[in-house]
Amino acid sequence: MRKQWLSSGLPVLVGATLAASAAFAQSVDTARIEAAGQNDWLTYHGSYKSHHYSPLAQINANTIGNLGVAWMHIPGRSTRGLQSMPLVADGVLYYSGSYSRVFALNGATGEVIWSFFPELDEALISRQTHSPYNRGVALGEGKVFVGTMDGRVFGLDSKTGKVLWETRLIDSQKLTVGFTGAPLYAKGSVIIGSQGGEWPGRGPIFALDATTGKKKWEFLTVAGTDEAMKTWGNDSWRTGGGGGWMPGTYDSETNTILWGTANPAPLYDWSGADYKTQGARPGDNLYTSSVIALDIDTGKLKSYHQELPHDAWDFDSAVGEFVMLERDGQKYVVHPNKGGFVFVYDRNLGVKNVWRLVENINFVKDIDPKTGALIGRRDFAAGKVAEPPLCPFIGGGISWNAGSYSPKTGLYYKLGQEWCMTLEVQKTTPVTAPQVQLNIGADFKMAPPPGGEIYGHLDARDPITGAKKWEVRYPEPPLGSVLSTAGNLVFVPDSRGVLHAYDAESGAELWKHNNGTGHQGGIVSYSVGGKQYIAVAAGFGGMLADEYAPNFGGAYKSMPRDDGALIVFSLK
Amino acid sequence: MLRLHLKTIPAGLGAALLCAVMAQAQSATPAPENGSFEVEPVFAGTCGFCHSDGGRAPGKGPQLMNSPRDDDFIRDRIKHGKQGAMPAFDGAFTDTQIDQIVKYIRALKPRAG
Repeated sequence: MRKQWLSSGLPVLVGATLAASAAFAQSVDTARIEAAGQNDWLTYHGSYKSHHYSPLAQINANTIGNLGVAWMHIPGRSTRGLQSMPLVADGVLYYSGSYSRVFALNGATGEVIWSFFPELDEALISRQTHSPYNRGVALGEGKVFVGTMDGRVFGLDSKTGKVLWETRLIDSQKLTVGFTGAPLYAKGSVIIGSQGGEWPGRGPIFALDATTGKKKWEFLTVAGTDEAMKTWGNDSWRTGGGGGWMPGTYDSETNTILWGTANPAPLYDWSGADYKTQGARPGDNLYTSSVIALDIDTGKLKSYHQELPHDAWDFDSAVGEFVMLERDGQKYVVHPNKGGFVFVYDRNLGVKNVWRLVENINFVKDIDPKTGALIGRRDFAAGKVAEPPLCPFIGGGISWNAGSYSPKTGLYYKLGQEWCMTLEVQKTTPVTAPQVQLNIGADFKMAPPPGGEIYGHLDARDPITGAKKWEVRYPEPPLGSVLSTAGNLVFVPDSRGVLHAYDAESGAELWKHNNGTGHQGGIVSYSVGGKQYIAVAAGFGGMLADEYAPNFGGAYKSMPRDDGALIVFSLK
Repeated sequence: MLRLHLKTIPAGLGAALLCAVMAQAQSATPAPENGSFEVEPVFAGTCGFCHSDGGRAPGKGPQLMNSPRDDDFIRDRIKHGKQGAMPAFDGAFTDTQIDQIVKYIRALKPRAG
């Protein structure tokens, strides 16, 4: 019988003697995250620049032959796998598992310093579809911040795991959804977005006072301004969607939060070409499938770009990466869209370029690289969608996990997914009460691209122009995050369970290790006591991974979807 | 009164494992008995996210067409779900509606052409 460690929200503190040999975490603040010290990994995207890059170089092409497992940690109860991004500060590794379990571990040895198992509304969670995985925590001001599936955010003492504050932000009983994404800490605030794409809510993004947990502001990604309200005909804003379920980032120069938003509901519309006036949600449906810039102090909208006006394909903008770059005196922000395009913006979200990461795209013919305007949209009427199948598949040409940018090579390493789907669109009636948990609006099935096979690929690209330097292919799309390092390495945890290391300049495989189960979470590098470590989350299952067994068979048929481990490597 | 728009051969509806729909726990408001309950769009809105091609093919959840499971199993799975795989819909659908979903599953046929 499963023993549930519902410790009433109390942390389990494992004696002081197990404390990390390194000093306990010093206070993590905005300046420290901005500086992104090489020994740490202080925020989900590595730093506010979202590079997912480590300047550590002890592990490199010459030494990687000696890379092996240093320690492992089993979080337990890993329903739908392990999907989170570990964080590291001053030798202490913090990470979360399913059901928002949080662990603080000695980064050198894996010894448990403390753990926190929140008592959750399990009856509610049993009714949720996109649950109970958790994708990460945030650090700041001596605290660890984590969201829960039942609509709360906790502020924990980073030294003990003790609950310092707890704030309920969403009535999850009413709205069904909660928090799965990692929060972002910046400038005294904890920013977090709720789930929202397929449900009749308004996809709020919240800011909390990091000290007290008190809510500072809330921005509604569905019809959150008068301007936006006009883009939802027939009061269709009530069917909702939106949300910002992955963490974005903070631009200190402009005092701005950059965040990506999810799709409107229903996912698939029966409007046909006249989507401005017909269908389930006539209009552009602002601010869904958009990137938005919010003033961090007030939550006021400063600028936005809707990547997919009236998204009728579930190719939203919730991917959290906002890769900050400078080239020839220009400052850029690079943001991948689920549809397989990569948008390049200036710091005010003005479009500077759009390029394709993914080959098989036909929901539009193209996107204008100068304006970002969609060219040749495929808007469906009710009924079976004629050939060719819709590309990409609902899982996207790009999934929610992060790519990596190396300032050393100047290349952006990003995973793409080549797959499509057959589709029959249903004429829906408005779903405005949360009694209906999902609002999809079509029957569908995964299909290979026309004339080809399903596959995934790691590309090494110029992040501004999209020029490709090299590519590595995989028989099934990898779903985990990517890490590049100053050791001239790129690490890719794949779906079969193999962690690969490639030469960052050439793509040549230098090392691999089978972790025994598929990956769909984070990977980071850090240093303790002068030794470099690579930490990767292993554990498969969930909204996309669950499609692998029926579609690909093989190792996926027996791969657990309720298991996971944090696996940490170092040189022997 | 429940108005059942059961087309002769409705497209799929979800059965056994996984996915779909509706909502929440104790405070859930079941679909009103006097409201219309069209199985086909309900399936496409909720169940079909996991049971591919309207229940005709496996996806995140199993294929429902020609399911070897008996009606009681399917009914129970819709109501109570399966941890980590399928949500429980007992707060979302009434027993009568679940019966209609089961009928819908049993009527699933391969798509023409």
